[in-house]
Amino acid sequence: MTYQKPLPKPTADDKFFWDGCKEHRLLFQKCSNCGVVRWPPSIICPACYSRATEISISSGKGKLYTFAVYHRAYHPGFASDLPYVTAVIELVEGPHILSNVVSSRIQDLKCDLPVEVIWEDITPEISLPKFRIVP
Amino acid sequence: MNIKDKYAIVGVGYTPQGKVPGRTSISFHTEAIANAIEDAGLKRQDVDGLICYRYFPPLGGEPTVTPYLVAQHTGLKPHMIAQEANCARNQLINAIGWLEMGMCNYVVISYSQNQLSGGRTEAFRVDDYTKAAFGQFGATSGYAMAARRAMHTFHTGPETWKHIAVGQRKWANLNPIAMMHDRLMTFEDYFNAPWVVEPLRLFDNCLITDGGRACIVTSVERARYLRHPVVAVMGLGSYNPSYEIEQSVNMAGPTGARLSGEQAFAMAGITVKDIDACEIYDCFTYTVEITMQDYGFFRPGEGEDWFKDGKIEPGGAMPVNTSGGQLSEAYMMGLTQLTEATMQLMGRCGPRQLGPATKTKSPEIILCSDNGAVLQTHSTTILRRL
Repeated sequence: MTYQKPLPKPTADDKFFWDGCKEHRLLFQKCSNCGVVRWPPSIICPACYSRATEISISSGKGKLYTFAVYHRAYHPGFASDLPYVTAVIELVEGPHILSNVVSSRIQDLKCDLPVEVIWEDITPEISLPKFRIVP
Repeated sequence: MNIKDKYAIVGVGYTPQGKVPGRTSISFHTEAIANAIEDAGLKRQDVDGLICYRYFPPLGGEPTVTPYLVAQHTGLKPHMIAQEANCARNQLINAIGWLEMGMCNYVVISYSQNQLSGGRTEAFRVDDYTKAAFGQFGATSGYAMAARRAMHTFHTGPETWKHIAVGQRKWANLNPIAMMHDRLMTFEDYFNAPWVVEPLRLFDNCLITDGGRACIVTSVERARYLRHPVVAVMGLGSYNPSYEIEQSVNMAGPTGARLSGEQAFAMAGITVKDIDACEIYDCFTYTVEITMQDYGFFRPGEGEDWFKDGKIEPGGAMPVNTSGGQLSEAYMMGLTQLTEATMQLMGRCGPRQLGPATKTKSPEIILCSDNGAVLQTHSTTILRRL
């Protein structure tokens, strides 16, 4: 069965991120001046306005900052996943990113539990970073 | 510059609301504006400013609802015209800015939607593929995330929110135009309702409504010559944390309500102790709790205790959302709150009128909030009867 869910459409700003995902690496911009690791990507650092940017590789480890449990499918591609969990992950490097927590019992989820990235290869161009609770 | 008590809301326009099939969005704008102008005792030629609430993509082949089209349908050629696209909630503040600058004499603010009959805009619409790839859609999920983080941060949850949902429903039961006028709700009903996005159940969510709403803003000097009691803007505030919920660290407070509220109370020169009733933006029950917490009605985690025993209901010590609000009357964005506060202060609310009719204090000062996106924008309005 073909994949029914929407896929990211990489932009000029976040193409490097999705290219990194293809290689199972979580890449973020890091300000060369003040060191803030930022998401979403941007051409300047929102903290110090420096244009100088380097790419840093995230450890893929962090905390479950918060989450939502969907009991309705707003898109038919997710109907067979119900109930499913969308989550905000606070990576140890700082950025908060949206993802899913998978392969955990929903009733076991709690804010601030430690999580780590796992990868779902969807197409040759897109791999999605998802997260699981660190056992 | 302090514009306390210098500007007033002088007319309110309603339309049929609820499930109203066979009506375009532009028709609700048009009817609401015409009714607001008539209610104020004005003519369309008097109105020289137009502000439309949020732009929505047109449904079902309808024309795009621009403020120009709204002006055309209502016979207006205003000096100033505006519409926001992403729920920045500064409509009243902008209107007063135009009046204060002398650009306009009477500004109409309007809202309209035909989402209920025209198709729910959130369903199956992908407008951010990066979020949609993970199954994140619509506003409920963002507020569910905020509510979840709040449950982790301080004492809150459904035992708090049930008081808000049930309390507002009791007001709706007194309001003949409320969508939920004929539907009683018990705590049991609240808990028996299905999850939408957990931890939010169906009755934690606002309604989806067909209909429109409008109001007219002018100077207090002009208002004194018009037909209704003068409802003056005593305080205004706004603050916009702006960050998307996925990057927010303020979802469990302080939200924009904190600094927005401080600004409004400072302008008015009063504190929460002076407030007689509240009309609080209630896209979700949790929004009411965190807004009132950030305004200082109670400390973090004390909401359940504060809301219990009918505090916000008819007969309660601090009535909240006296039309039923967006949870139980109708969803008209921030005009739900502003128009209800205006009508209450004018004394035009019939069975739900604050005062002896509902065993509550006769209101002199009402606090209103408006909130947009997922706790990204906030504005505060304090109204009083002069």
